[in-house]
Amino acid sequence: MSYLSNPEEQVKDYSERFKLLYIAVAVTFVIFGIRLWYLQLFRGTEYRFWSEENRIKRQKVPAPRGMILDREGRVLVDNQPGFDVVITPQYSQKTLDETAKIVSEILGVEAKSIVKMVKQGKRKDGAFKPVIIKKNLTRDEVARIERIRLNHPGLRITMPIKRTYLLKENGAQLFGYVGEITKRQLKKFNEDRVPEERFEQGDLIGQNGIESFYDETLRGRDGTSYVQVDAFGREAQLEVPDIFQNFQQLQDSEPGKSMILTIDRDIQEAAYNAFVGTERIGGLVAIENKTGKILAWVSSPSFDPSHFWPKIPHDEWVKLINDPFKPLRNKVIQDHHAPGSTFKAIVALAALQEKVIDINTTHFCPGYLRFGRRTYHCHARGGHGNVSIVQALERSCNVFFFKMGIALGINKIAKYARALGMGSLTGIKFKNEVPGLIPDTDWKKKRFGEEWQPGENLSNAIGQGFILTTPLQLAMTFSGIANGGPYYKPYFIDKILNVDGQVVKQMEPELSRNPTNKLNTEVQIDPQNYEIVRKGLWSVSNGERGTAKWYKIPGVELSGKSGTTQIISLAPDQVYVKCKTRPIQLRHHGWFVGYAPYKNPEITVAVLAEHSCSGSGGGAPVVRDVIRSYIEKYRPELLKKKRVAVIKEIEVQDE
Amino acid sequence: MNEAFQLEDRSGLKRLDVNFVLVVIALNIIGLINLYSATHGAAATGLSQRFLVQTVWIGIGWTLFMVVTFVDYKIWTRAAYLFFVVNLIALAAVPFLGKSIYGSKRWLDLGFFHYQPSETMKVILVIVLARTLSKVSSPGGLGIKQLVWPLTLTAIPFIMTVKQPDLGTALMFFAIAFSMILFVGVKKKLLIGALVTFLVALPLAWQFGMKPYQKNRVLTFLDPSRDPRGAGYNSNQSIIAVGSGKILGKGFRKGTQSQLEFLPERHTDFIFSVLSEEHGFIGSMTTLGLYFILFFLGIRTGTQARDKTGALLAVGGLALVFWHMFVNIGMVIGLLPIVGIPLPLLSYGGSNLLPTMVALGLVSSVSLRKFLF
Repeated sequence: MSYLSNPEEQVKDYSERFKLLYIAVAVTFVIFGIRLWYLQLFRGTEYRFWSEENRIKRQKVPAPRGMILDREGRVLVDNQPGFDVVITPQYSQKTLDETAKIVSEILGVEAKSIVKMVKQGKRKDGAFKPVIIKKNLTRDEVARIERIRLNHPGLRITMPIKRTYLLKENGAQLFGYVGEITKRQLKKFNEDRVPEERFEQGDLIGQNGIESFYDETLRGRDGTSYVQVDAFGREAQLEVPDIFQNFQQLQDSEPGKSMILTIDRDIQEAAYNAFVGTERIGGLVAIENKTGKILAWVSSPSFDPSHFWPKIPHDEWVKLINDPFKPLRNKVIQDHHAPGSTFKAIVALAALQEKVIDINTTHFCPGYLRFGRRTYHCHARGGHGNVSIVQALERSCNVFFFKMGIALGINKIAKYARALGMGSLTGIKFKNEVPGLIPDTDWKKKRFGEEWQPGENLSNAIGQGFILTTPLQLAMTFSGIANGGPYYKPYFIDKILNVDGQVVKQMEPELSRNPTNKLNTEVQIDPQNYEIVRKGLWSVSNGERGTAKWYKIPGVELSGKSGTTQIISLAPDQVYVKCKTRPIQLRHHGWFVGYAPYKNPEITVAVLAEHSCSGSGGGAPVVRDVIRSYIEKYRPELLKKKRVAVIKEIEVQDE
Repeated sequence: MNEAFQLEDRSGLKRLDVNFVLVVIALNIIGLINLYSATHGAAATGLSQRFLVQTVWIGIGWTLFMVVTFVDYKIWTRAAYLFFVVNLIALAAVPFLGKSIYGSKRWLDLGFFHYQPSETMKVILVIVLARTLSKVSSPGGLGIKQLVWPLTLTAIPFIMTVKQPDLGTALMFFAIAFSMILFVGVKKKLLIGALVTFLVALPLAWQFGMKPYQKNRVLTFLDPSRDPRGAGYNSNQSIIAVGSGKILGKGFRKGTQSQLEFLPERHTDFIFSVLSEEHGFIGSMTTLGLYFILFFLGIRTGTQARDKTGALLAVGGLALVFWHMFVNIGMVIGLLPIVGIPLPLLSYGGSNLLPTMVALGLVSSVSLRKFLF
């Protein structure tokens, strides 16, 4: 047919090129073979590692945080499961609108905002990360969601462990709170950490108070586990024998240690109720005289630390930081103020020890004192008449202490004040404590480059002027006076327990100073002088003309001293008259530091009642309530022994 | 005529290149085993639809292979232009009736399956060029005049496919035609001229002819770490899959890269990564070896062809399979940029398998008729 020419001859034309084809194929085979050898044999181990890296995600297993308990082992801060409702975008795509509608009916959240939250979450974290719709559901809400859950793919209840503060707002500044680590903290804390122990974004750490200061103790050590994930980050099941070959061993988490505080929950609650019940702003601390153990610690206004876990809503945070009364500040140690008349107890000790006066010395108070070109006023316009040191303390006579100030001079006062614990850190193991201030002539020169003016001896002798102190510091000083000399380092952590409940650390009381035998002090104060001042402080609530005579506990002899800190300088005769009518931020702070019983005192309570106008009105009733709750619990026999007629409380605002 | 036909038929089975057929069968089996792994997740029960569909394609593929083998290839070359025109019409219809997937129109929906005219065009181009080129041979190689027609035949489907856009498939037309024309021989001056033109045209094509995603692929190929989560992701994951197989592989269905979906398109374009990951160097070299044997046997068939048409059909058919294999494995092991070219006999899908089986059938058909004269 068409095979006219010799076809075999024709094909032979190609024979040379067929050889080229063989070569081309062979070369390709060799190149591919070498490449496969290179990838699979030469670098196989490396690529195996990368393939493992791809699919194995290291997961933190958070260690359970230690609990915080009171002195009797009652829980103050705990980890409890909460109930959150979540929607996973991937699984609810088709039914989202419907799901949002029914969930909104149950939870009272707007359906539109649910849809928006889910869509935002999907855009931000991908379709497989569940979006939290509402936290802390009630049992009823949980039950209703569970009932409809199966008909709504992607809808789920999760039970995250939540840090729970059982006293809520009470003691928030002491306990602090736990929240997500900030970017700055991340950088700072990771600087000197080994890689395995580094923090990661999203980690929760103590951000304030005990939670922060003792974070290392409470946090424990997070464990690690590995999960297999697919390309989309979903956990995936796939049986592979050498699953964790190239990875370090799994590490169990090490639970955080628990803490037993010296705080007594009953006293703490009584203190908070007394404080909040009278709408007080400020700080309160109650300590055991013979140990330095802190019984109660209140700062007001307050906040609920649970809201910080894991992240505080933005508007709540803004509200907290813009609050003029600063709920986040720990007013017990973080802010210092002039001690006002409470300082007179210290000046009295100095005057007695320096023999400026003795118990019988009297000075006449006409209601004012002329000194230099100025007139210094007493708060009692008509004057106190002839007063001894005991009476001067009882009535808080300014004129008497002006004279003491003139006689002693600031440097002597400062020496005694320091010996009594004023103007320096109390040594409490906690953050943000301020040292307060005890001025002297050198200090003024250094600070202002000016000479000390004689008139300043007067104002500082009644606790105004430069002197600054914190409620805790004042409480310690007064506990020393109550004890007749020795006082202890304040502390609030009694024991640290491991997860099995074994005590790993037990704190012991530590003597801070004792002026009677010059332990850690520059000056000596004799015990009999303490007795005289204690007598004066007894009169403050027990004497006929005591500034806090309206605040008594029948059967218990309450001692103490009131004080008022002027916020702004006013003409002295207007100081008290106008206080209550001023805007609250301009009203005076009131102090009251009290202790009981008179013989062998056990508890000292210091109260700073900011903007309460006076110490006796603002602070004394709170101190009285706290001490009463202590006596009721620890010394009920005192209350039974003497049945004294209950004196009707009179609402007195002014001293 | 009748007598000759009978003679041919009787001796047909004996003359069949059994080794060639066995190699194809072996690759089919490897393909099915591997596809089973690629299409069955850990939680899968029963057989996946894709796996079942592929067995049907293989059945149809073998039917076509046998038909093409046992029918004299002269029949196909005579009807070449008819096929060519019909296929061109189908190709021309794609922009109007086509189905759009991933932003390009390549498929015609025939109800029972998506027909991709550019795929069948590959094998028809082989037939058409075999017919044309067998008639224009001249000593010292082909000149411009003789090349005009073959190049025109190639250019028409090339341009139509580029427009879809499907640069990968279009380049296959070029590669097939290039192989066949070069095989026949081109005048040296012309060859050098073409080379120079190509080198000049390349930057121009880069500047004006390529779409950003295409440029991106090339750039990413040159530097895969350029954008590991973006364009380089597929390439990186594929290399990791292949490399992590080491000597023996991770085991059947235990390839984490493929099972956990780090490998994209694992049942089609990246099927060889699955194989390499699960069966290691041994598995991938075995498969590569089978291709090697396939091409060697095919080329031997070509050398024994009874005429130029047969030789060119064998070369063209092999070129079709070879270039697919070359580009696909080359990209999977990181030697070439990522282009959507399936691996013949291993990748899922009929659009590629059927033309491949026809092309191999043509080679087989040539071998059946090698000793007629």
